[in-house]
Amino acid sequence: MRYALLLCASLAASHAAAGVEDALTHDILPGFAGFTAASTALAEAAGADCTAPALRAPWNAAFDAWTRIGDVRLGPSETGALSVVFWPDARGFTPKTLSRMISGEEPAGRDLEAFAHVSIAARGLFALEQMLYDDAFAGYESGSYGCALVQTMTADLAAQAGALESGWRDGFAQVILSAGEAGNATYLSPEEALRAVYTQVLSSLEFTADTRLGRPLGTFERPRPTRAEAWRSGRSLRNVLLDAAAAKDLAVALADWEMPATEAAMDRLEQVAARVTDPAFQDVEDPAARLRVEIVQQHVRALHDAIEQELGLPLGLTPGFNSQDGD
Amino acid sequence: MKRATSTALALLLATPALAATDKAAVLDTYADIALAGYEDSLTTAKALQEAVAALIASPSEETLAAARSAWLAARNPYQQTEVFRFGNPIVDDWEGKVNAWPLDEGLIDYVDGSYMESDENEYAALNIIANPQVTLAGQAVDATEITPELIADTLNEADGIETNVARGYHAIEFLLWGQDLNGTGPGAGDRPYTDYASGDACTGGNCDRRADYLKAATDLLVSDLEEMVAAWGAEGDARETVTADENAGITAILTGMGSLSYGEQAGERMRLGLMLNDPEEEHDCFSDNTHNSHYYDGKGIQNVYLGSYTRIDGSAVEGPSLSALVAETDPALDAEMTAKLDTTMEKLGAIKTAAEGGFAYDQMLAPGDEKGEELVMGGVDALIDQTRTIERIVSALDLGGIDFEGSDSLDNPGSVFQ
Repeated sequence: MRYALLLCASLAASHAAAGVEDALTHDILPGFAGFTAASTALAEAAGADCTAPALRAPWNAAFDAWTRIGDVRLGPSETGALSVVFWPDARGFTPKTLSRMISGEEPAGRDLEAFAHVSIAARGLFALEQMLYDDAFAGYESGSYGCALVQTMTADLAAQAGALESGWRDGFAQVILSAGEAGNATYLSPEEALRAVYTQVLSSLEFTADTRLGRPLGTFERPRPTRAEAWRSGRSLRNVLLDAAAAKDLAVALADWEMPATEAAMDRLEQVAARVTDPAFQDVEDPAARLRVEIVQQHVRALHDAIEQELGLPLGLTPGFNSQDGD
Repeated sequence: MKRATSTALALLLATPALAATDKAAVLDTYADIALAGYEDSLTTAKALQEAVAALIASPSEETLAAARSAWLAARNPYQQTEVFRFGNPIVDDWEGKVNAWPLDEGLIDYVDGSYMESDENEYAALNIIANPQVTLAGQAVDATEITPELIADTLNEADGIETNVARGYHAIEFLLWGQDLNGTGPGAGDRPYTDYASGDACTGGNCDRRADYLKAATDLLVSDLEEMVAAWGAEGDARETVTADENAGITAILTGMGSLSYGEQAGERMRLGLMLNDPEEEHDCFSDNTHNSHYYDGKGIQNVYLGSYTRIDGSAVEGPSLSALVAETDPALDAEMTAKLDTTMEKLGAIKTAAEGGFAYDQMLAPGDEKGEELVMGGVDALIDQTRTIERIVSALDLGGIDFEGSDSLDNPGSVFQ
């Protein structure tokens, strides 16, 4: 037993640095650059035409880009991600805060610098979703306060993306790559950095299964369609698949061996997802539709288990604590 | 060379036999601290029960103030038990009965006109105290008599909504203080004692029903805490479960420490509230007691690591500690953990000191308040930092890790719906 553990430890040691560097250079850093590009394009589009119909496509592109790195909650993202994606919002802070700002025409809605200090409930992708898709907000006209607010929100999102990208590229990447070197107080060994990234992969899939899918499913007697993530824009299923694919790709980057069970699990997830009838999960009150969403949830968990088996086990890694451990 | 290797291996293999601290004794200390913490929580809850009876019998500024003091005193030992929650399913399943939060208080009693119903909870403004007959999730509910059973079985988490918190410390807190309508400005809730007065002196309406609710909720708190004292007693379920398997038990201690530090306290309770700038997002929002709530949460984490708890009567419960166990494996790692726990207590202490000096926790959450942000984030960063060391301890102690055998979907793909 002890021999086996020592072998695991040495495999982890020799592999840790290479896998993490791969994940960083091929996945994480390009992912943040992609999010900056997409959110900058959204802000530019809003500058040209602020109305909701004009911004839905670039907003979706920005959300797609976010899913590549959105669940990696390390370094600058540890806190920074919260103002990009404030969700779930069990107490309705987003509509309350937006209504308050709009009815009072609060000056921060026209002031990029001041806007960086407003509640995260009014910032980021989910606040924008309500402005672009919810009937309570989406009817704003060019030249109105709502229009200025959306322009500020998109500019703020682009600024956040740029700050996250440079925070990773010019700062935290070095912390990860220098894991175990003298002076690195965050990661005392390459294995610690590896475990940190590995934990993000598993946490992402757990969040997708338990929250992105679990919230709208509710209980059989009481499904909760409006608790789905991004249901207003109909992105709920798309987010599940993109987030799962991003987690899978990160896992594959961490390994330098083939992961056939993981790849097969991802393929099966895509197959069962194709049978879901409403991509916003608004039909989960129908038992047959509900079952199809439950099957998707099962396959997200199967993907999680495949990654534990094909990546965690050979490396002797157990996941660390994740930021979703609270209730 | 060969001999050197085998000697090193022999030493390595011999180390556990030489260990002075055995895991079973560490687990006994842990369970003893849990028992003492829940006993102290029960003792102070019974004092609260008496103070509430006095308030209801003769409402006055003095009896209301005494009930509030009793509530505050009851919180300190309870918060130190929160570390037992994560990692002990028996505690986690029970915890929602006593400490659920945040709550839509409009379910219970009158609220200010600016209070908005939430998208997710159509009962957020139900006001059971004013309404003896209500409909919940399609069912007519007779709330003529406000009893512990009505609160526990019908109102709490009504319609499966977690913010329908009808029982526990925070429901009682709301009934003693009322809403804090000062936003991020100074001041806590300011419910007048006349909310419990009889006849024409009654304010807020339905004073007798409010008194019934307060009494019933306090009685429930006492019986809930009795349940947890029993669970940690000599043959209690919680004690037997955590001591059944040494490695699993030590893992449970560390899981409780790490999950409370990171996801729950640093994340959900502190950082999120700060980033939402919402004064309702403070843990003890009616009484402005959040600084103590956070401080004693942190203290509980330190207690279980050091194997020492100071009881409300000043006596100590202590014994073989996790700290000693870690020190035998890696003294530097134990020193790192001890130092980080100290740092956290210093940062949480700074929040407590500032609040006691008049800078309340909800004021720290005000948008753009740099001093407040620095104080709160100081606590958050220290809690996150100590989590990393807890992870190191999990690795260093070789506790067996994850049970991969439990994965049905891999061992038997047919078990997953296709």
